[in-house]
Amino acid sequence: MYGTKSKIDLAFEYQSQIPVLRPSIHSRRANLTVKFQDLYGFTVEGNVDDVNVLNDVREKVRQQGRVWWALEASKGANWYLHTTIGQGSALTSSLKFSALANAITLKKLIKKGIPPVLRPKVWFSLSGAAKKKSTVPDSYYDDLTKAVEGKVTPATRQIDHDLPRTFPGHPWLDTPEGHAALRRVLVAYSFRDSDVGYCQGLNYVAALLLLVMKTEEDAFWMLAVLLENVLVSDCYTNNLSGCHVEQRVFKDLLAKKCPRIATHLEALEFDVSLVTTEWFLCLFSKSLPSETTLRVWDVIFFEGAKVIFNVALAIFKMKEDQLLLTHHVGEVINVLQMTTHHLFDPDDLLTVAFDQIGSMTTNTISKQRKKQEPEVMKELDQRIRKLNSLKADNK
Amino acid sequence: MATIGHNNLNAKLVLLGDMGAGKSSLVLRFVKGQFLEFQESTIGAAFFSQTLAVNDATVKFEIWDTAGQERYHSLAPMYYRGAAAAIIVYDITSSDSFSRAKKWVQELQKQVFERNMNLSNTRIGGGWGVEFKEARVYAEENGLFFMETSAKSAANVNDVFYEIAKRLPRAQPAQNPTGMVLVDRPAEGSRAASCCS
Repeated sequence: MYGTKSKIDLAFEYQSQIPVLRPSIHSRRANLTVKFQDLYGFTVEGNVDDVNVLNDVREKVRQQGRVWWALEASKGANWYLHTTIGQGSALTSSLKFSALANAITLKKLIKKGIPPVLRPKVWFSLSGAAKKKSTVPDSYYDDLTKAVEGKVTPATRQIDHDLPRTFPGHPWLDTPEGHAALRRVLVAYSFRDSDVGYCQGLNYVAALLLLVMKTEEDAFWMLAVLLENVLVSDCYTNNLSGCHVEQRVFKDLLAKKCPRIATHLEALEFDVSLVTTEWFLCLFSKSLPSETTLRVWDVIFFEGAKVIFNVALAIFKMKEDQLLLTHHVGEVINVLQMTTHHLFDPDDLLTVAFDQIGSMTTNTISKQRKKQEPEVMKELDQRIRKLNSLKADNK
Repeated sequence: MATIGHNNLNAKLVLLGDMGAGKSSLVLRFVKGQFLEFQESTIGAAFFSQTLAVNDATVKFEIWDTAGQERYHSLAPMYYRGAAAAIIVYDITSSDSFSRAKKWVQELQKQVFERNMNLSNTRIGGGWGVEFKEARVYAEENGLFFMETSAKSAANVNDVFYEIAKRLPRAQPAQNPTGMVLVDRPAEGSRAASCCS
């Protein structure tokens, strides 16, 4: 019984006696690719170290949850709503002080992350979605979805086309139920704002909103507040002019904040928009792991669209040394993709984004945007005229 | 632009065409040998690279697979600027996607002069919306190399890229006689060749 060892056991024993031939534990671990599901059900491919990082992140999320619960216990359930000061003189100075203290606590706390369980509630109030919803009758979303049911427009056709192409393989999004929910949100929004209609990229944004918010209606209002109040206007409308503006502002910021990278990439004739356009239009949802993306969104919904610049700059900044060693466009893209895909620990990114980039106020960014707008309009206009003259030539 | 180092050529290649025409599927089949029934929709553009051996040279393609939705049109110049070749893709079941393909051809002919263009159609299933003959005649009239492909069955996918690789302009023809390959198929290649040289 003990005398017969299976061949496999023997082979294993034999191998373990010749450690010289075995690669180091680190390289073995780094090469071993595993597939696993993250907090939001996305399949992630990574090595063992990535799995460990993700486990650490889960633990940090739990700790952060305890911090939020403790604050709720001491300050009341909706303490984070009482952060505005200067609303009339009726407030006593002590109340004003507590509001200010809350505001400071909240700003710091949000950068450390909102626990996933609290996200729907906190996002909904802090982004302004709750306020937006309160200005229309309660039945607005239901009425809208019912009214547009069965209607076919270019937007609905494009939405239908993209449903199975939005995070394919996700355990809920890629089911008939998930497709139907995403469809209703996107179609409803395409009717709410016919200038936006449907823009590719919004499928990913809305899908992630659905996963976080849990209910379609809340996801719809988050999408509305995002497009109508949080982001710059015309990011997703007919020629993406808002997106062009953001790209120009970003290039100026990169030159200012990371001059060595900017100069190097320029020498390689690498236009950063080749990569960053997707970051801006999908708000990182296609490039960063889900929890990292949502940590970025935590801050976007609270502080505004300037956060996208912080984060995008941070991705470049984190890899400055590697980027400066690149010789080809392909290498630059590889460095950036490898970086974003493996940013499993949100704090790695957000620490750089908020502590090392240097502050950028919404005001300075707005000025930059104003400066770029006429340039973008001129460029887009010239292009349209050129294309129209092409048509005329061919007639 | 195609750049040469010894017998190695780096060539920027851009894929253009209507949304859902199958651009990403074509690239994925070529680069990774995979086919997915539902390919994630591309936002902005996705980058791939793949190297092919053509005769005694290697061609490294740097491929930009662009987003197809009409409004992304305004981003396209960023991706086709400096490209050595373009593949314009349409879906044979959709005449709209064929009209869109024609618009791309027009734009590229005017905007970028040194161009090696390729018209590719992908089979997505269903009935036939675009007559093969019509597309072929159009391609010939416009000096395009034309091929019907299927990312699903892999039919002609590698061939498209191989044919493009063969037609890429060589900067030093005397040292690199492979450039002469273009002459081998005058019916399809000659005009593409002349606009590249």
